[in-house]
Amino acid sequence: MSVWRNALLAGLVAAGGCTEKLTTPARCPELCPSSSVQLADTLLTVADSADTTARGYVLTSEATYVAASSLDSLKSLVLLRFAPVKTYWVQTATDTVQAVFPPDSVFAELQVNFRDSTVHPRLVFYRLPAAFDTTMTYAQAQAYFVDSAVLDTVAVPDTENVEARLPISLVPAPGDSGVVSIGARVIADSPTVVAFSSGHSNTTSPALSYFVHGQPPQDSLTRNLADTATFTTFVQSPVAGQPPPGVLAIGGLPAAHSLIRFSLPSVAVDSIGIVRATLILNLVRPVVAFPGDSFFVNAFPILRDYGPKSTLYPDTTVTGEAVIHAGQTGAVKIDIAAILRLWGTTHGDSMPRAIMLGVFAEGFALGELDVQGRSAGGGGPRLDVTYVKKYEVGIP
Amino acid sequence: MTRVRPGVVIVAALLAARPAAAQDSVFGIRGLGLLGRPISAHSAAMAGGESMFDGSSAVNPASLAAWRGLAGWAVGAQSEHTFNPGTGAVALSSMRFPTFGFAAPVGNRLVIGVNVSDFLNRNWDVQRTDTVMPRDSALPVTDRTRSLGGVTDIRFAAAYRVSSRVAVGLGLHVLSGSVQTGVERDFPTDSTYHSFTQVTETNYSGMGVSLGLFVTPIERVVLGASARFNGRLSATNPGGSASVRLPTELAGGLYVTPWDGVMVATTVIHDNWSVAAPDLVAAGQPPSQDVWSVGVGGEVALLKLFGQVPPLRAGFRWRQLPFPVGTAALSERAVSGGITFSLAHGRANVDFAVEGGSRTAGALTESFTTLLVGLSILP
Repeated sequence: MSVWRNALLAGLVAAGGCTEKLTTPARCPELCPSSSVQLADTLLTVADSADTTARGYVLTSEATYVAASSLDSLKSLVLLRFAPVKTYWVQTATDTVQAVFPPDSVFAELQVNFRDSTVHPRLVFYRLPAAFDTTMTYAQAQAYFVDSAVLDTVAVPDTENVEARLPISLVPAPGDSGVVSIGARVIADSPTVVAFSSGHSNTTSPALSYFVHGQPPQDSLTRNLADTATFTTFVQSPVAGQPPPGVLAIGGLPAAHSLIRFSLPSVAVDSIGIVRATLILNLVRPVVAFPGDSFFVNAFPILRDYGPKSTLYPDTTVTGEAVIHAGQTGAVKIDIAAILRLWGTTHGDSMPRAIMLGVFAEGFALGELDVQGRSAGGGGPRLDVTYVKKYEVGIP
Repeated sequence: MTRVRPGVVIVAALLAARPAAAQDSVFGIRGLGLLGRPISAHSAAMAGGESMFDGSSAVNPASLAAWRGLAGWAVGAQSEHTFNPGTGAVALSSMRFPTFGFAAPVGNRLVIGVNVSDFLNRNWDVQRTDTVMPRDSALPVTDRTRSLGGVTDIRFAAAYRVSSRVAVGLGLHVLSGSVQTGVERDFPTDSTYHSFTQVTETNYSGMGVSLGLFVTPIERVVLGASARFNGRLSATNPGGSASVRLPTELAGGLYVTPWDGVMVATTVIHDNWSVAAPDLVAAGQPPSQDVWSVGVGGEVALLKLFGQVPPLRAGFRWRQLPFPVGTAALSERAVSGGITFSLAHGRANVDFAVEGGSRTAGALTESFTTLLVGLSILP
């Protein structure tokens, strides 16, 4: 029967076009290739030349958030400076200029990015000198966060916005620079952190809203004028700085990158044979991040090694990535097989055997991890490589 | 406008063209692959029994003497296979172009021609699943190994009609081809593993010469004989190079037309493939064996159909294949049939042939059915 069935098939196919189907399940050993794919594993201690951390890729004042924290591991105060207050507004209907001062009321508006509502956080707003020093430290800022400078205290609600009514006296009289600066500290039932969108956020920057009315005889007219923050930052303690010897820092603010240079055997650099490669980094302390938060740590291949100012390989598909959780301990594992395969190509062969580690997205979250560097010996970076042994196609 | 010489075009096309084998087979994974059958569609309809005497088949160079004018031909073959590897029958299919060529008389007695046909077919595709233990964890994998290509036989031949009863032929064979072997490993259950893919190309080359003879000792009976002497087949890939001694082929045939419109023919071929055994064993493969091939077929042109009397053909063939499967010898048998229609007042012929058969090695059997369509032009 199969002959007739096949004949019918052949006829139909010849009438309708060509087909190709050659794949058969293997019948081994009689009808199998003489060679087979064989996997092997090797664990390599790979970092044998200088690894280093550099900080400052994203400054605290460039982050997309500002954080007020009372955590033991991080204490911070928010500093905001707004554009000069407008002194007049033009009433369109009558084309008359209306003075602004004094406003009827003033509100500060902030968009909340992170909070822990279970501890009932509250924000205390303080008046700051209009031209405060943008390089001030957490300790120096304490001089301004005193009871006599308190403007308002508001609860942080379970909504996305905090609105604080500030005293009208906050608004400078005409003739002044008009610049308003305020600070914020968090208090709660227990140590906590509250984060807001900063002036670099793509969503809502901190803003001051002035509610004003017209002058007689148009004093029944009202208007809401708003100014967004021109400078936003937060000061913190401890200050994120250079990690101790033997430790590599990744992330945080100012954001840190760590550069790891490898010395790899040929078996670990192959454009096709590497099927998995895991970079293992041992944490020296629990991961710092907003409680319950997570973030990515990325490994980027380096196109030209200029230390902290190295040029990264532009193809963003050739990276390693791992998800990191707040408070995580133990080892961080990042799959960098794509990078090792790149180095095995003709194109990638001339590239330095080095990667840059950073967090994603930098300046968007608090995440920082500190890992053991090369000088930690066996605790330093290791590479677990799974590869296919050289497959020999038989001749003839 | 510049005129292009047809001969130049044809030679260029021959050098560029690579015909694929007539049939693929799961047994092509063994040794050097599956032996090709350089025969036309109407010879295939007679199971190759007439191939010794067929001018468009590449068995006997003297067969070119059958052409009395310029001729060109080509064959396409659609093959359906069924194979049971022990886990259930698998249906396979392939479309190939087993041979093409042309011939042209030079004067009254000499005919030259070129025939391009398959010599070794190395098309196969094997997939298997397994579980491996990288990093001390069980991991399912799917391996696929594919081989595409083969060795092509380009025969430059000349036949000379010594007399009305005797013709001789001489052929120069150039063996050329390549095989791409692709190896893939996928990790279907774990995306943290990257797939492995490797493609290796192996190139082949070799030479050979063939001699042929036709004799008509008595009316209605033609005897044919040919001998082909091959050199070594060289293979080169990035891993190195090797060569294999190729066999000497001896063939004989009988062509009888007992009555007008009736013909019976047979061709018997012997190849001493055992000469390749030492080279194959040195490469870690099982030794090859000498093989016989026998085809018997006939044609009847008595029935009127569509205003013409097309020849109806049938045949049976059996052959051994030189590369064993394990310890089991591999053989092939098939029955065939076909018909030819003449077009354009005899200036073109369309041949149809159907062949059904099986290949057997021990308990393993592959059945196949092939539909061949040949076109020959006689301008």
